[in-house]
Amino acid sequence: MPDTPPAPTAIGFLSIVQEAGGVLGGYLVTNLWGRPLEFRLSTAVQPNRVQQILYGPTLTEYLYADLIGKTLVEKTATLPGLIVTDSFQALGLRDRVGIPVLAIVPKLGDDGIELVHARASVPLILASRHSDDQLIVIDRLDRLDPSIDLAEPFTRIREAIAEARKMGVSNRAA
Amino acid sequence: MKGETAITLNDSLLPWEAAIPSPLTPLPNGERGTEPPIDLLPTPDCLTFARFEQPLSVNVRDSRLLTGSPWVRTLGRLDLTVSTEGWKFPAPPPELDRPPPRFEKPVDHEAIELPGLPDETSAAKKKRIRTKPTADTVLIKDRLLYLLQPPLDGIFDGRQLELPFEPFPYQLEGIAFLMPRHSALLADEMGLGKTMQTILSLRLLFHHGIIRSALMITPKPLVHNWARELKLWAPDLPFEIFPSDPELRRSAWLVSNCPLKIINYEALTRDAEVLSDPRAAFDVVILDEAQRIKNRDSKTAEVVRSVKRTRSWALTGTPIENHADDLVNIFAFVDPGRIPQDTPPKRIASLTSDSILRRTKDDVQSDMPPKMMKDLEVELTPAQRHAYDRAENDGIVHLNELGETITVQHVFQLVMRLKQICNFDPLTGESAKLEQLVTDMEEVAESGRKAIVFSQWVEPLKIIADALRPHGPLEYHGRIPQKDRFPILDQFRDDPNCHVLLMTYGTGSVGLNLQFSNYVFLFDRWWNPAVEDQAINRAHRIGQRHPVTVTRFLTENTIEARIASILEAKRKVFNDLLAMADKPASLGLDEGEIFGLFDIQARPKRG
Repeated sequence: MPDTPPAPTAIGFLSIVQEAGGVLGGYLVTNLWGRPLEFRLSTAVQPNRVQQILYGPTLTEYLYADLIGKTLVEKTATLPGLIVTDSFQALGLRDRVGIPVLAIVPKLGDDGIELVHARASVPLILASRHSDDQLIVIDRLDRLDPSIDLAEPFTRIREAIAEARKMGVSNRAA
Repeated sequence: MKGETAITLNDSLLPWEAAIPSPLTPLPNGERGTEPPIDLLPTPDCLTFARFEQPLSVNVRDSRLLTGSPWVRTLGRLDLTVSTEGWKFPAPPPELDRPPPRFEKPVDHEAIELPGLPDETSAAKKKRIRTKPTADTVLIKDRLLYLLQPPLDGIFDGRQLELPFEPFPYQLEGIAFLMPRHSALLADEMGLGKTMQTILSLRLLFHHGIIRSALMITPKPLVHNWARELKLWAPDLPFEIFPSDPELRRSAWLVSNCPLKIINYEALTRDAEVLSDPRAAFDVVILDEAQRIKNRDSKTAEVVRSVKRTRSWALTGTPIENHADDLVNIFAFVDPGRIPQDTPPKRIASLTSDSILRRTKDDVQSDMPPKMMKDLEVELTPAQRHAYDRAENDGIVHLNELGETITVQHVFQLVMRLKQICNFDPLTGESAKLEQLVTDMEEVAESGRKAIVFSQWVEPLKIIADALRPHGPLEYHGRIPQKDRFPILDQFRDDPNCHVLLMTYGTGSVGLNLQFSNYVFLFDRWWNPAVEDQAINRAHRIGQRHPVTVTRFLTENTIEARIASILEAKRKVFNDLLAMADKPASLGLDEGEIFGLFDIQARPKRG
């Protein structure tokens, strides 16, 4: 991953979905108008009891940010200038891919810096340890088309995941 | 080392000892182990069990048991893995993929109140309209491409793409219908914006990189209308109109790489042989006024069907002008083979429903100002009545004298003669309709409004023009050269002193956008209600902001009243046609009905 984030011509949306069969991720990269450039889907991961014990409290962040998030971002050809996720625990993706990451869910506890921007109908959360990203995040959000609501693409991702499952893709990827 | 240090086991320390077979203990089947004992060499961290009196000797079988279930259970993989599958979507051409313009006014981060929760109420109010894959979209990549497109209402809210005004929700639904479809018939009632919906669908498909070439086939009088609408709704989309010169046209077919080309039906038919060239192929072919190919065996229909294409879209407000076969023949272009030969009419709806979208003004009336229909019965002037009665009586006598040699054309001639008298007295030029029209037009002009007057013939329009001279009449009909027609429409729109446009049904009934007019007068009636509707909808269409008043002139106790009553009955049938409950009857007058207009006994001899 490059240290300097790429030019912000694209934005990534990472959705983490918890299902009966495990946790899976859907990752949509759009241009600044919200049009899809790439979509990538992970298989569902179901940690067993031993893995739960061994990974302990780090398991969720490892699954969301490292295993699913990082894999999806790295396997996708288009590098975004910003990643938005619907999972607070996936904010750790910032440390793995070197791209600013925002969550669109209520923050957990005291961690996280809350941002408000016209491009989002809900508050945005930035990991506290990456408070330096704040200015660059706002600059990139400003570049988005005004019609974009950052919460909206997650609806598309969920529908696409359902469609892919219907077509047997998630099984095939497994 | 051997014998000095031994691994010893104390029986009492091993509660599972009894389960371990050894040469000394019998197996469950009573046999004893026969494998030779093996020595276990101690490792440095090995502990000595003092209570063992003898070295432990374990054979292979024992060792297997010790390392097998249930004594040793694998933990499995401790690492977690995931695999992925991805899809990359078409990239738009660079010239259409420029980022949206930066805003001069920066987003104000300070002024925004912190919302505690998403605004559910406002989100619920605004229905998101999105493209969806069609049932016959097979490839997962194609299905995802349409599912992952952003909502159309976001794209077209006037910020992302330059638009003269925001489309209505039903128009967005029309775009969502067209975009994913390879076979589509947009059959909205006239005036609902088929042109705009088509242009915006094309614009988005080009922007998304899904299509790279499109051909628009349209009636000749409407070519410039399309050009004007394209400039309005897709200013960033280059297009070219096929020239009239055959050699230049050949170049346009085979050399030009302009993404959108526009050709009229007549020129297309003349270029039939060029179409066999593989370079003459398009991602989308759009057929405007698709009823032009309702005759399956016509040269036009054959040539249209021969254009190589990936997607076939047809546009018409009257998919069924006369018979169910009209629709079947349009589908021979939209999706060849979709409707097999000799399909019962009742099955046509189920075969085509997924590819047809039709909305009427009633469906979307909340978006449109009302249309008020007024049938104005006028009494013929004495001179007209005298001329009319004499012509009808003499005509009927003449028809009866024809006996078996009578044809429908003979009756037709009489009808035409009588209709002309209903307009004007042939001797004096008196006209009850014109008197009323002059009165109405004074009111229209005084209120600053504009009106369109339709007639079947050019001659009455000339007389009407003279009578309405104070109101700046403009004429638009077949005798006006093609090149002069559009300046006339522009003048009618822009000149505040021009209050009335005089048109014939033939030239003015399709495709023109005259929504700046609020009054329509049908000076005489056409044979087919669908054509009349098209004429009316020049004014009553999207963009119209005021109610439209339609006045249909009718002279009392004349052939006009008889025709009107038949047409009204047929109009009711028309409303049910798309349901395809049964094979529809003809919308115009059939032969029997024409003979039935008069009390005559003569009938043609049938072979």
